[in-house]
Amino acid sequence: MLVPVFTLKLSHKLQPRTVALGRFDGAHPCLAAATQAGKVLVHSPHAPGPRTGGSRAAPSSQDAHVALLSINQAVTCLAAGPLRAALQRDCLLVGTRTHLLAYDVHLNSDLFYREVSDGANAIVLGKLGDIPAPLAIIGGNCALQGFDYEGNDLFWTVTGDNVRSLALCDFDGDGKTELLVGSEDFDIRVFKEDEMVAEMSETETVTALSPMYGSRFGYALSNGTVGVYDRTSRYWRIKSKNHAMSIHAFDLNSDGVCELITGWSNGKVDARSDRTGEVIFKDNFASSIAGVVEGDYRMDGSTQLICCSVDGEVRGYLPGGEEMKGNLMDTCAEQDMIRELSQKKQNLLLELRNYEENAKAELSPQLKEADGQRGVIPANTQLQTSLSVNLGSDSQSAHVELCISTTNGEPQSATTTTYLHTIIRAVLIFAEGIFEGESHVVHPDLQNLSGCIRVPLTPPKDVPVDLHIKAFVGYRNSTQFYVFELTRQLPRFSMYALSSPDSATEPLSFVSCATNERPQRIVMWLNQSFLLPEDAEFQSAPFQVCFTSLRNAGQLLIKIKPGGEISISTDDIDLAGDIIQSMASFLAIEDLQVEADFPAYFEELRKVLVKVDEHHSVNQRLTADMADHSNLIRVMLVQAEDARLLGDMKNMKARYVELYDLNRDLINQYKIRCNNHTELLNNLKAVNQAIQRAGRLRVGKPKAQVIAACRDAIRSNNFNTLFRIMRSGVASS
Amino acid sequence: MEVSLARVDYLQVGVTAQKTMRLLPASGRRATQKVVVGDQDGVITCFGIKKGEPVTVFKTLPGPKIARLELGGALNTPQEKVFVATGSEVRGFTKRGKQFLSFETNLTEDIKAMHISGADLFLCASYIYNHYCDCKDKHYYLSRDKINDVLCLPVDKVNCITPVLACQDRVLRVLQGSDLLYEVEVPGPPTVLALNNGDGGDSGEEIVYGTSDGKLGLIQITGSASVPKWEIENEKKRGGILCIDSFDILRDGVKELLVGRDDGVLEIYSFESADDPVLRYDYVLSESISSIQGGCVGKDGYDEVLACTYSGWLTGLTTELAYREGGSGEELKLSQEMQSKISSLRNEVEHLQMKVLGEREKYQQSSQSSSAVSSVPAFSVNDKFTLNKDDASYSLILEVQAAIDIILVQSDVPVDLLDVDKNSAVVSFSNCDSDPNGNCLLATYRCQANTTRLELKIRSIEGRYGTLQAYVTPRIQPKTCQVYQYQIKPLSLHQRTHSIDHDRPMNTLTLKGQFSFAEIHSWVVFCLPEVPERTPPGESVTFYFQNTFLGTQLESTYRIGEGCFKSDNISTISILKDVLSKEATKRKINLNISFDINEESVRHTLKLIHPKLEYQQLLAKKVHLIDALRELQVQEGNVDFLVPEYRSILEEADQLLEEYKKQPAHLERLYGMITDLFIDKFKFRGTNVKSKVPLLLELLDGCEQERLVAFFEAAS
Repeated sequence: MLVPVFTLKLSHKLQPRTVALGRFDGAHPCLAAATQAGKVLVHSPHAPGPRTGGSRAAPSSQDAHVALLSINQAVTCLAAGPLRAALQRDCLLVGTRTHLLAYDVHLNSDLFYREVSDGANAIVLGKLGDIPAPLAIIGGNCALQGFDYEGNDLFWTVTGDNVRSLALCDFDGDGKTELLVGSEDFDIRVFKEDEMVAEMSETETVTALSPMYGSRFGYALSNGTVGVYDRTSRYWRIKSKNHAMSIHAFDLNSDGVCELITGWSNGKVDARSDRTGEVIFKDNFASSIAGVVEGDYRMDGSTQLICCSVDGEVRGYLPGGEEMKGNLMDTCAEQDMIRELSQKKQNLLLELRNYEENAKAELSPQLKEADGQRGVIPANTQLQTSLSVNLGSDSQSAHVELCISTTNGEPQSATTTTYLHTIIRAVLIFAEGIFEGESHVVHPDLQNLSGCIRVPLTPPKDVPVDLHIKAFVGYRNSTQFYVFELTRQLPRFSMYALSSPDSATEPLSFVSCATNERPQRIVMWLNQSFLLPEDAEFQSAPFQVCFTSLRNAGQLLIKIKPGGEISISTDDIDLAGDIIQSMASFLAIEDLQVEADFPAYFEELRKVLVKVDEHHSVNQRLTADMADHSNLIRVMLVQAEDARLLGDMKNMKARYVELYDLNRDLINQYKIRCNNHTELLNNLKAVNQAIQRAGRLRVGKPKAQVIAACRDAIRSNNFNTLFRIMRSGVASS
Repeated sequence: MEVSLARVDYLQVGVTAQKTMRLLPASGRRATQKVVVGDQDGVITCFGIKKGEPVTVFKTLPGPKIARLELGGALNTPQEKVFVATGSEVRGFTKRGKQFLSFETNLTEDIKAMHISGADLFLCASYIYNHYCDCKDKHYYLSRDKINDVLCLPVDKVNCITPVLACQDRVLRVLQGSDLLYEVEVPGPPTVLALNNGDGGDSGEEIVYGTSDGKLGLIQITGSASVPKWEIENEKKRGGILCIDSFDILRDGVKELLVGRDDGVLEIYSFESADDPVLRYDYVLSESISSIQGGCVGKDGYDEVLACTYSGWLTGLTTELAYREGGSGEELKLSQEMQSKISSLRNEVEHLQMKVLGEREKYQQSSQSSSAVSSVPAFSVNDKFTLNKDDASYSLILEVQAAIDIILVQSDVPVDLLDVDKNSAVVSFSNCDSDPNGNCLLATYRCQANTTRLELKIRSIEGRYGTLQAYVTPRIQPKTCQVYQYQIKPLSLHQRTHSIDHDRPMNTLTLKGQFSFAEIHSWVVFCLPEVPERTPPGESVTFYFQNTFLGTQLESTYRIGEGCFKSDNISTISILKDVLSKEATKRKINLNISFDINEESVRHTLKLIHPKLEYQQLLAKKVHLIDALRELQVQEGNVDFLVPEYRSILEEADQLLEEYKKQPAHLERLYGMITDLFIDKFKFRGTNVKSKVPLLLELLDGCEQERLVAFFEAAS
């Protein structure tokens, strides 16, 4: 069994997901982690640690090897690594909600301290694509930014939602690294510099990403899922009721391949095989894991896996050697194998017994009451499902209706039980992303039992969803039921009902593009992606279908004009983007340029842009005010203390009262500043989203071009150009 | 000395009931013992281990479920005859498997417990005890509550037949002939009895009991009274005790106590100094341990503890440390043995798989026919639904013979489902806020592979009653699910006790009307947990209860035509009044309800609650401060400048957090109960004070006892 080679206790709380290991003096490894009160802890067991007396570092009173750096803001992310090759030592990068600090621990001085208006939720350090300098890449609200060691902004792009995790990985095997971005809209996006090359939809916020080797990487979600991808295909995933706090790739069993190490919120650490997800090692901490890193922490030439808990417990593990034969757990593999095989045998025997008993029962096919209780049902009972759009009624809003019924079901109004009619006792639907949890249950009360259950579904996002349905079929008085299991796919745009075109409410906004595709193929895509009462057929151009959204009753019009031109009219720019992306991937279109106009949305965006300017100026004014105030305070404090020393109590009191008032003003101003900042962030997010949305209307190269051009337009504060780009996709026209 | 035992899994039989596995005494030259086990398929399997492989001695044909298996024989000879209880029948087998006895008893119910001593046979059905000598009916006793186990003190030492019954109402009943000699109160519902040291100690009068809430104790049963010797609380909150044995596994000359629990924990207690047992070793199996015995099974010269689990696994914890000691040659041989075992198992599984595939196809084909039926036999589920005294919550334990796939929990009463740390299942709640079908809770537990046992914790509210249902789906094809129902009773947080404090101010509720004894008993069963379903013998009966959350009490005495309920908690009386009148109306019985409200009782109850309230509020306050204080500590480097109060909070931070975490929503529950008390007090006066509740809640935050009492008195 693998046991820790060292354990140590840092007498500080560690903030989860902010642990890093660096050689800040170029030789000795140190652990860095954010602790309470806006401080970063640096544990340097080998070197004398950062010089103190400078602006930030102070030795800890509790532990000689620990130094504390004051950041004075809540730390959101942390990284360590070589940002400047010439420096020959690692630097520490600390992200907060408003700033990014690059810090030279050894000299106890800042390399740069930059304001980042989008915040820094996640950080990764390394080389990206063809950019020669190592970059500190931060992910904020919908935006990605990369800085070199001088704080120059060398990389910028936008993404769909708030970034929660980042990783660098050679995704396509070209020898250059790509950037993986996990965000709050459940997507993992892959950027080849600023061009997005792949997008994988997950089922929850992506909280961690970790490169493993080659194009393989691990990921973790906020619902307790961890798994491994190879390029765009998922190898495996598991879901736990705990949350994965940190993931890291490390070869723990010395087989030459990295395992995925996960630190969980309940203090468990496990190592899983990259291929199967099978647990090869686990250990338990007393409290939640804060971070998992690797390094030669004992300075003996071997690399250890280092796990830290939020209570400051640190354990280091050496990879298992030859003699362990990859068997890291305290069990006997053979015994386990025997147990597993016996379990399998037992299950098979039970299944066999089921068939035998069933065969016996078939000899007496008369159904009796007692059989009903035992859940004996006619063998030809089948479960039918159908999906349709329900436009809703006064009591119920519009929804997609899943109707599940048995072929010999009891009618809804039946009052007596007959053993020819079955009922559905309950339906369990497991699907990700459309319910609050992972499942939805319909359990009718005894009066409402029948052979048919209608389940209203309202998927919040336009993504295709697999519905795993389990239905309990039996009779009213049964204590045992048959479990029918089947899977149905909910089409991507199921929340849009086919309607007749109404020119009065026809949306003003549209996207149009030209393709060489046969219209029949587009109609095929239509049939697959929407819930149509019957399959549409392409007769002749012009072809037109009209849908109404079940969410907000907005109209969606898809037209195919004779020249192969497709136009999509909707006021919802997100929907237009989704449709373009879905169609492009169905038709395998690599590059697509479009014409677009969203007058209402653009008008809103214009207002937001004006607001951003306002907020910026308010912010500047407030900062100046605050500086004034703090000067005043200093003066007043000196006056008050002077008065005290002179024994002039009356004057001192007056000064302190003034000081108190000033302090209150300062707090009020701070609150205003906070509110202002939150609004600013929201508006900036809206701007970033707008760029992202404009990008999503295009595919491939035009998409990257639009995003880059929009960014330039915003930099130069040229709003008119921005809108022109969003409309036509190019800067100059 | 550290105890280290190695686990060996021998083989698997069908699902087993409590106390159905024994080791036959070693015979002849061979020192290894044979194992005999009876399962719920009705099969008795007797096997020995040869070269690590189980070799069957005999195996009987399937039949009705085996409820108990005991060894017997003429006194002072090796006890090597096998007796099993199935249905209402007792069958005897020789150690070679030859049936020599088939005794159809006159019991109308199935046998639940059995003990054998020479020619004497002691049998218990749910409430009935019968003593047979040479299969002739000798004595009979009807117990007031369910009998869980039976034992007779060793006749050779005590010189008279002294049967002891372990009854569900927390009492051991000592009998003489057909009469009750005396009752012994024990701290929990006893589930298993065993003779201390295997022979009742020097006097032959000492018995060890285990309770369903995980407590252990030793009691000396003398001719006229009982003397409690020791008692072990269940501090680690482990499962209920299912089996006990004595065996000297440590080889220190004193027999250790072997204990198997229903959460799969196996414990070894040793008696080092004095007579108090000390926990020396524990091991966790994944499912409940139905039987346990120490002996020598796997290899000559190596003692081991053999445990039989619910799903029929026979697992040994042996002193033979196969992989650490012994020469390399032996190791090699062992691994070869293992390999051959694995490959033979593999073959077997492959063979079975082929067979199953064929059968599956046949089954699929039958679904084409319109006349055929599909019938899958029931799988066995071991369930337990009990109230925990410590945190006033229910725990529901479901154990299935195969791995569980999904459990759906549904309830028509509002209950809270709490997380249990050791569960690995993924829980998902469905929204029930506007459910047209009256569901208050819909939750699915999706279990990880190989989970056969799931524990749920449920918090109920007194006064809200209904049914909780669990739909259990195991991972066996064709997939079926079974539904299990559990009643959440109106006074769900009450627990039976032996006695109450009669000096407390009590409120009384009296019922009079044309109802039978059985009727009023059924109402009490409906209202309160832990009341036997069978109407007790005699003309009248008295039960005492304690509220596990508040510590208030309830006395209920009733007979034909009259019932009297006394409690120091007005809310308890109020709930009873509402439910009883509703029940009586349902059966169209005219009830004459009168109540006597003691104003003093409200003050008394408040006094009872107040220290808890104060403590919880203080705890919450302290916990609230911890983070801020810790931050100060980091900022300032030391804590010398803090007042001692704050410093002590920092020092105790971990314990405080732990305690706070252990009792989630404790404060909210207390607030709720005080509010109920307030409303109920005035309800009896006929005034509605709901409008004043916000005022009360405000007052509660301040938490001053006198002001609270004053508010209760002034609010009228």
